[in-house]
Amino acid sequence: MRKVFKIIMILFLLSVIIFACKKDFLEVEPLGEFSENAVWSDPNLVETFVNSMYSNNFGNPFGNRKLSDFCDESRSSWSTTYNWNKGLMSSDGLQEWTEGFGAQATAALTWEPLYATVRMENIFFSRISEVPATSPADEEKIARLKGEVYFNRALTYHLLVSLYGGVPIITEVYGLDADFSAARNTYEECINFIVGQLDSAIIFLPPSLATELQGHATSGAAMALKSRVLLHAASDLHSPSKNESVAAGFAAPELLGYTEDDQTARWQAAKTAAKAVIDLNLYSLTKENPSPTDNIAQNFINYFTSYGDPEDILLQFTVPAMIAYAQWGAVQSEPNGYNCWGNQTPLQELVDDYQMNDGTDFDWNNPIHKSSPFENREPRFYATVLYEGKKYRKRPPEYAAIDPFDKLQTGRVFSTGGNLLVGGIDTRDGPTNTANGGYTGYYNRKATDTTLDAQFERQDIPFRQFRYAEILLNYAEACIELGEDAEAKTYINKIRHRAGLPDLSSSLSGNELKEAYRRERRVELVYENSRFWDIRRWLIASDVFKQTHSIDIRYVAPDGTTTYRKEDGSDWSVPTYTVIETSGDLRIWDNKYYFLPILRTEINKNNKLVQNPGY
Amino acid sequence: MHLYALFLPPKSALTKTLRVMKLTAICLLLFCLHLSARTVSQTITLSGKNLQLSQILDSIERQTKYIAFYDEDVIANSRPVTITAVRQPLVDFLNEVLSGQLLTFAIKNTSIIISRKEAVLSPRSITAPAITFPITEIPTITIMGKIVNEKGEPVEGVSIVVRGKSNGTSTNASGEFSLKDVDENASLEVSYIGYASQIIRVNNRTTIDIVLSLALKLEDDIVVVGYGTQKKATLTGSVVSTSGAEVLKSPATNLSNTLVGRLPGLIGFTRSGEPGNDATTLMIRGSNTLGDNSPLIVVDGIAGRDFSRLNPADIENISVLKDASAAIYGARAANGVILVTTKRGKTGKPRISATHNTGFQRPTVIPEMADAATYASMLNEIAFYNNESLGMFQRFSEEDIQKYRDRSDPWGHPNTNWFKEVLKPWSLQHYDNVSISGGTDNVKYFLSVGARSQDGVYRNSGTKYKEYNVRSNIDAKINKYISVALDLAGSQEDKDFAVTDVFSIWRSTFRGKPNTPAFWPNGTPGPSFLEFGDQPVVTSTKANGYRLDKWFKLQTNGRINVIIPWISGLTLQGNISVDKAFNNVKEFHKPWYLYNWDGNSDHITVPGKVGIVAPTLTQSTNEALQITMNSYLSYDHTFNGVHNVRAQAGVEKQTIDTAFVTARRENFLSPAVDQLFAGAADEFMTNNGSALHSSRLSYFGRLGYDFSNKYLLEFTWRYDGSYIFPKAKRFGFFPGVAGAWRVSKEKFWQENIRGIDEFKLRASWGQTGNDRITPFQYLSTYGFSGNYIYNVDDQVNNLVELRVPNPNVTWEVANQSNVAMEMGFLNNRLAVTLEYFYNVRSQILWIRNASIPASGGLRLPPENIGKVNNKGWEAIVEYRGSLGQFKYNAFLSGSYQKNKIVFWDETPGVPEYQKSTGRPMGSQLHYVSLGIFSDQGAVDKYPHWPGARPGDVIYQDVNGDNEINGLDQVRNTKSDQPTFTGSFSLNLQYKQFDLSLLVQGASGSQKYITIEGGESGNYYKLWADNRWTSENTRTSYARTWDQTVPYWDNTRNSYWLYSSDYVRLKNVEIGYTLPLGLSKRIRIDGMRVYLSALNLFTVSELTKKKMMDPESLDNYAYPLNKVLNVGLTLNF
Repeated sequence: MRKVFKIIMILFLLSVIIFACKKDFLEVEPLGEFSENAVWSDPNLVETFVNSMYSNNFGNPFGNRKLSDFCDESRSSWSTTYNWNKGLMSSDGLQEWTEGFGAQATAALTWEPLYATVRMENIFFSRISEVPATSPADEEKIARLKGEVYFNRALTYHLLVSLYGGVPIITEVYGLDADFSAARNTYEECINFIVGQLDSAIIFLPPSLATELQGHATSGAAMALKSRVLLHAASDLHSPSKNESVAAGFAAPELLGYTEDDQTARWQAAKTAAKAVIDLNLYSLTKENPSPTDNIAQNFINYFTSYGDPEDILLQFTVPAMIAYAQWGAVQSEPNGYNCWGNQTPLQELVDDYQMNDGTDFDWNNPIHKSSPFENREPRFYATVLYEGKKYRKRPPEYAAIDPFDKLQTGRVFSTGGNLLVGGIDTRDGPTNTANGGYTGYYNRKATDTTLDAQFERQDIPFRQFRYAEILLNYAEACIELGEDAEAKTYINKIRHRAGLPDLSSSLSGNELKEAYRRERRVELVYENSRFWDIRRWLIASDVFKQTHSIDIRYVAPDGTTTYRKEDGSDWSVPTYTVIETSGDLRIWDNKYYFLPILRTEINKNNKLVQNPGY
Repeated sequence: MHLYALFLPPKSALTKTLRVMKLTAICLLLFCLHLSARTVSQTITLSGKNLQLSQILDSIERQTKYIAFYDEDVIANSRPVTITAVRQPLVDFLNEVLSGQLLTFAIKNTSIIISRKEAVLSPRSITAPAITFPITEIPTITIMGKIVNEKGEPVEGVSIVVRGKSNGTSTNASGEFSLKDVDENASLEVSYIGYASQIIRVNNRTTIDIVLSLALKLEDDIVVVGYGTQKKATLTGSVVSTSGAEVLKSPATNLSNTLVGRLPGLIGFTRSGEPGNDATTLMIRGSNTLGDNSPLIVVDGIAGRDFSRLNPADIENISVLKDASAAIYGARAANGVILVTTKRGKTGKPRISATHNTGFQRPTVIPEMADAATYASMLNEIAFYNNESLGMFQRFSEEDIQKYRDRSDPWGHPNTNWFKEVLKPWSLQHYDNVSISGGTDNVKYFLSVGARSQDGVYRNSGTKYKEYNVRSNIDAKINKYISVALDLAGSQEDKDFAVTDVFSIWRSTFRGKPNTPAFWPNGTPGPSFLEFGDQPVVTSTKANGYRLDKWFKLQTNGRINVIIPWISGLTLQGNISVDKAFNNVKEFHKPWYLYNWDGNSDHITVPGKVGIVAPTLTQSTNEALQITMNSYLSYDHTFNGVHNVRAQAGVEKQTIDTAFVTARRENFLSPAVDQLFAGAADEFMTNNGSALHSSRLSYFGRLGYDFSNKYLLEFTWRYDGSYIFPKAKRFGFFPGVAGAWRVSKEKFWQENIRGIDEFKLRASWGQTGNDRITPFQYLSTYGFSGNYIYNVDDQVNNLVELRVPNPNVTWEVANQSNVAMEMGFLNNRLAVTLEYFYNVRSQILWIRNASIPASGGLRLPPENIGKVNNKGWEAIVEYRGSLGQFKYNAFLSGSYQKNKIVFWDETPGVPEYQKSTGRPMGSQLHYVSLGIFSDQGAVDKYPHWPGARPGDVIYQDVNGDNEINGLDQVRNTKSDQPTFTGSFSLNLQYKQFDLSLLVQGASGSQKYITIEGGESGNYYKLWADNRWTSENTRTSYARTWDQTVPYWDNTRNSYWLYSSDYVRLKNVEIGYTLPLGLSKRIRIDGMRVYLSALNLFTVSELTKKKMMDPESLDNYAYPLNKVLNVGLTLNF
């Protein structure tokens, strides 16, 4: 009987254990996620949702592959040249633009990620009315966030339109069963949409923000973007009488630019937009009136390594703690002789565009210039370009013997018989990190924090997405195009004056003035993601996309020499400077490259899309 | 002719062309030869007391060419026979044996057919009154006896079970047993591993002595199935199994590595050989879904356990459910189930077994790279191709190249073989195990302790693995009705890795420039030549820190088994299992030093700090808790002696909780203390944590019926609920049916068919599910992804929409059909199984990103849209035999499976030759390589990429539009998964010696192999030596290139495809057992010494070309090891 009792007890216990589970046993909440409703009822969570838009639109400007590598500014050390630059991109793939090693700066600039951002922006507008404001502070925040998302939506479409021409304007939030097909809007419709978004942003955004909110868009930032957008829109690339080289024979020219030839009105709009920013009187050029004792190059270096300045309109900040090396500006570009990776090395074409400090042009045919090409150049040259013999930051201790003088070594020492004796430590023939040596004989100095040892430490200086100098240049460009040369020169001279250069000649006008302006813009905004777009909108890419050049620097030393310089730091001989073709950097241009191809797969998925011409 | 020689298949049988036809041919050949090899004899010599009829019939078969056919049930009722016969003619002998039995016989050709005497079926007996079951208890008796083996030695641990009842016992060390409460008319089932199981009728005897005979009949095997065991002969599903003893033959360090080739239909690839990370990817019948293909692992009845780190010495048996037989595991069974059973104690004196193994390992393939002279010439060629006007010697002069070649200047012109510098010739591994088992009638135990260590292949390896296992499996009988068991298994795994990850170490070794020194001639490490200071002779050691990944795992299970006294054959089992795992990862990076030489004549090298500026430490803790509870009723009864009914029904619930926390500090002042407190509390200090909870609730059952073991039918089901799915779709029903017909049991067969002892047909169909998907796809949720920074260093979270919710998300459904034929020949010593399966997986969760335009911006959820079918076959031939002292068994298997995407999301407008629909999963688009442009003329003649030059790869103009673009890509039909896998194993035993080997191969797969050759790394020697140059234009290898610059390195094309077919001697073992007398003299029960090897030889294109192991994931993965092992086992 006791046995039977035991059995019954056990059966009972077993059934209790198994069956006595909670009714909602399978009702499990995800522990690592926020529910949709939680997000759209809390302004703080909504704000973190907006953060993603900035991340997506601005990408990794200090990443491995920068826009500078895809125009006539710089060259990477990690590839002979990019196939993209050889014109091998097609509707089957954008080559290194999207593919490649690590997160490059360009990866964010394509159809798919940009439209993913558009969806975020559209979600925001579809839900923001649900978010309750429980305090005036909340109300203010919600208004600000609306402005920020208008700004971001304008920015996303601006990038799309700049890359592809007119694109489908999508403002709805698609569900899974939606009709996804969408035709491209015309270029003009897109620009009008973007400008409309920016006008809304300007209303919602405050003109300035507390320090802790630096990095969020302000109304000034929205106006600066509007200036940029209208400048692009007014440019020749989008003007029907100017862009035949791209649009001729294309059945849908309205996708690439305006159809009415009223470029003057558009330049006028661009001018007005730039002037509006100037008239805010919120921004000013840093050290705009340098004193004769100022080290102007140092002024520029300081500005580009500062954390905020009256010249800045919108900054993208970085932090040293970021693990992803896409964020490591300095290690990407500093020389291999510092155990860095030698990318974004300035091309000879860029270096030659820096004037002498007296405002005259540099000229290889000038024997003085040729014998000492790095002397007496304008201050921005020294703030931007690292060159042979330049005293730079302290070498890592293990290279102290190889370079006790902390002077860059981008040349080579040969015997009298022509045999290579010593390759500079910052070349690919040197004693270390040869795979990371630059190809051009120069390295980039801009936006590098030299107080850090970049091989170990990440710098946290911000990237300047919008700054006042660009607005002044935008304004000047519009003025030139409108024939207002004097007004244009006034503003270009502000830039030159700050750079320690004499004013442009008062006789300069027309095309000469345009050329002077374009060079000014090139050197002022180098490495700031401007040139890539400028050579397109000016329709000059076919002139600048060709075999690039670099510098070959040679010393002659006695046989048996094993050091780069003499023991006292002097050179073994007078160096010879020769401009040579950069190894493996023949760039090829076809006018179809003014616009990116829409990928074949995307067109297959959405048959309303029209491909850009030539693809 | 040696019989076993027949099992060494002709060379072609080891190749991919192996097909059923050949297998069948081999079987037939073997069968004929075997018969003709026998001496023809028609007389019998046999004497013995109380011999079972089956034993007598076996003897006849052994002594003559005759084969006896009979129904087991028919003979089961026969009386034991006492006979003395010397060269008695067969017919006389049979007459004598069967006299007085209710049996008769007939001889047709070489078959003896035993059947019931017609008289039994006389009308009178049919009209006899129906048997009524007595209401009073059947009198029971106590039976005692002794069980000995064929040599007359007592055998311990033999199981004796009363048929149809649950009472049973096992023999003690003297082979004796005693069994109470036995019905005087009952039958006893006597079974012991390696011996034929016997059915003995009690016939009111109280003393029964039994002689075991070696199991030569494969049909006696018992296999483990879901929630129970079954006899192989009456199995209806497709199940294969292997024993722990087989698994132990492999010196592999991970249990999952020992299974490939032993379980036909189980496909596995060892993708990495890294100590601690070398688990084999296992798949049952290949890939069936676009998603997760991993099978469900069930260890000792508990689902979802990890088994790769179980101590192989603890394994009793591993079986694999390949078809609808897995349906009892429902929503997790679609990829098949691997059932692992651990050893348990047996009644008897304590048996102690101790094993020691020492192994020597090295990579199966060490890649051969170009030497410094060749590499320097190639860099010259790169510069030349970039600017031909500057000539061929832009980088290195002829003099330089000569110095690299003649090694005259080790300081300035080194010639480094990086693999030789990084890898040591042999690395050690050890494995030790001690187990104790034994018990009394009421308490039995199996206790085991194991320890394993494995060194990495690097010199001064920073990677090492250590593992400790303990297990205690205890069974106790509380009373006549209740027994309990408690299993505890704990393991400690110390995965001690170099802090630089495997990928970086191997990548930097491949990139190792042969003209850069790994070490300077003065012994200091060579300079930094790659990013991050990755110099593999240093980063493969502990010089730059460590990553210690420690796991502590505890698997526990308490079981109770209740025999319900009121209903005969009804039992209830309950399990409560609590598995806990703790994981601690400590990753300590510290700066390391590389040495530079500035060319000074004193050859002084200067250390330089690289990598990081100061030590950093990341420490994380993970923990997981899995609780499984189940309870099920089983009913097993035979009605009227012929209707066997088995039924089961149960419920199971399982919860899993995991959580992690992690913390990090940088800028340690000193590497002296590697604890978090010693790092700087600065802006780089971070922490993080999260958790997951999951739960499942299931009801399951089985209903089996067979008539006379002849017609078998089984229905299994599971009703599964999973937290992964939305409330309305949370439960699913998964049925499976299987039937078998043992045709050879039919009278017509026994009368007419000769030579085939067993012939069974079986078929199964089932519908199972796969719920291995990301949970909560039905919820619209947001999560943090990345950061943005405002102001200076103010890092904030980015919130993103995690997905567009899919409210209809549900299971993947697998329809699994299987038909099979099992045959037994030569008195069932030769078994042949042929299986054909057809699996259709539908409702596969797949993302519609191929058809939804990116302009939608959606982060698409997986939807149940995919459909894949997978069909194939398996053939298994198994033979067990003996010739006097010479015992052998051989096993040959082949399996073929090919999957095809029936439907998924395909981009509209894709040309037919690019569609993935209709092609196997994983097939990729490739440009088709037609070879190498030999000269400019060849380039001009054929459409080519802009800028193509002699020495480049010719792409085929597939669509003939005289242009090479994306439309010329073709989707191939091979992936990196083989379609055919085969294996051959042989076990031989002669007196004290034993030999076993396992040859395994796979075919139908290919690998895409590229390398970062050029300015940033070296080339394979093969590629370098045969490259196109202006002097070597007639070659199939391309010119020198720099990284991904040429179109043929940056677009996927068939030039880089290599066959990864292989055949390898996976396993070989030679052992010697000390003769019994000798071991007795040194007071032990037994001793065996053995030599074994893993991956001893490999035949494949990739190994022949010295590129990589064909099983490895890619060339930057830690390679598979070849292991030579010596071992010793002692029994006390």
